Amino acid sequence: MSQTKPTIDFGFTEVPLQEKVKKVKGVFDSVAGNYDIMNDVMSLGVHRLWKRHTIELSGIRPGKVVLDLAGGTGDLTKEFAKRVGKEGKVVLADINESMVRVGRDRLINAGIAGNVEYTITNAEALAFPDNTFDLATIAFGLRNVTNKDKALEELYRVLKPGGQLMILEFSKVTQPLFAKFYDFYSFNILPKMGKLIANDEASYQYLAESIRMHPDQETLKQMMLTAGFDKAEYLNMNEGIVALHRGWKY
Amino acid sequence: MSHNTNETHASDQRTNSELDLPLLSLSKTIESVLNTAVRLDEMEGQSFLSLEDKVIAVTLSPIKQPLYFLFTKSMIAVQSSLVGEADASIQTHLLDFVRLPLNHALPNTTLSGDTQLAQYFIDALCSLDIDWEEQLSHYTGDLIAFKVGHGIRSLFNTQQGVKDTVSQTLKEFLQFEIEAVPTQSQVKRFCQGVDDITTQTNVLEARINTLLTTS
Repeated sequence: MSQTKPTIDFGFTEVPLQEKVKKVKGVFDSVAGNYDIMNDVMSLGVHRLWKRHTIELSGIRPGKVVLDLAGGTGDLTKEFAKRVGKEGKVVLADINESMVRVGRDRLINAGIAGNVEYTITNAEALAFPDNTFDLATIAFGLRNVTNKDKALEELYRVLKPGGQLMILEFSKVTQPLFAKFYDFYSFNILPKMGKLIANDEASYQYLAESIRMHPDQETLKQMMLTAGFDKAEYLNMNEGIVALHRGWKY
Repeated sequence: MSHNTNETHASDQRTNSELDLPLLSLSKTIESVLNTAVRLDEMEGQSFLSLEDKVIAVTLSPIKQPLYFLFTKSMIAVQSSLVGEADASIQTHLLDFVRLPLNHALPNTTLSGDTQLAQYFIDALCSLDIDWEEQLSHYTGDLIAFKVGHGIRSLFNTQQGVKDTVSQTLKEFLQFEIEAVPTQSQVKRFCQGVDDITTQTNVLEARINTLLTTS
């Protein structure tokens, strides 16, 4: 009797469950060096505004402990580290070593040190004790996680009571006409830009596909509640190109 | 599990907020200007050291949403949300806040919470001293920087001179030409006269009362 292996989406293709991590790692190994430039080009710089809004809404203050999961090149870590001060701490965690290296070098060059720790960790099995963080963020990373439900449960576990999770992620465009333009841009222009700037069309094709396969706003909110969060809500930015989901552990 | 109400209150207030571009721009602009000013300050922002790890809420009317100033060793951060309460609060007008580098004072300001901390912040802002000519000379050279500085100083002096002359001329016209308003000494004499009459009336009243009781 033949037994079919469980599969999961990798962009628009189905891959065996165990292979997604390797494939995502391959994508981010490939784009790590040009990640920041590409983010600026892809979003016309608006990703800075989305991240700034996330930081402002976090309500962070000196002395707090923050987890920046899938922190990549450290955009959020840099700002949080400036805000939590010497009594606080920010942990930049990412499954991809190349991204953490780029992030660490970038932050050290910017003079950010002393209250930042770096770790390579899988979002589905966070290497932190229960009730560790006042705030956890995952910006443009959740869609690459193989088992999102498990990752949300882990994030809930490591948050302190009263703590907040913020998920900044591409989502479903709410305006139909704009959605058509956005699709054209994602599948026709974005990969070409990837080829032009990073000489890597396939990785950027995957980025566009993975955005479409990511759960929409309401689904993700429900997933957060199922994972244990006592309150969850979301905020659309730029017609839903990006949504900021927030969950609280009481 | 326990629910820490204080910890979640401030963030809950803004749970349904949309992307507030004007507020984001304001907080980012103030943050950038302030940190640049601290960097260029002759004392490198030493006055802010006593504020380290503190949070001050500043309401700049007519904007209702307060901005929170977070002080750490590396920078002053400005944001529009805060978990928990600020250590001190300042309520002032946006224009007064913008004019602070020129006026070196924040008029009509209400302080609450740790008022001493709030006053430290205002004093620290007032004490920022930037040598603009020195900074400009890095880009233009000493000669041009001096010329620009000299020009700006002359402009300010001329502006102050014109302001003084106009106010003196207007004062003399109203007081002596058309006699629409009294001079300060006339007002003083008038007040003195009123005081004298009040005293004399009181004396007279006392004398009448004495006469009435004795008769």
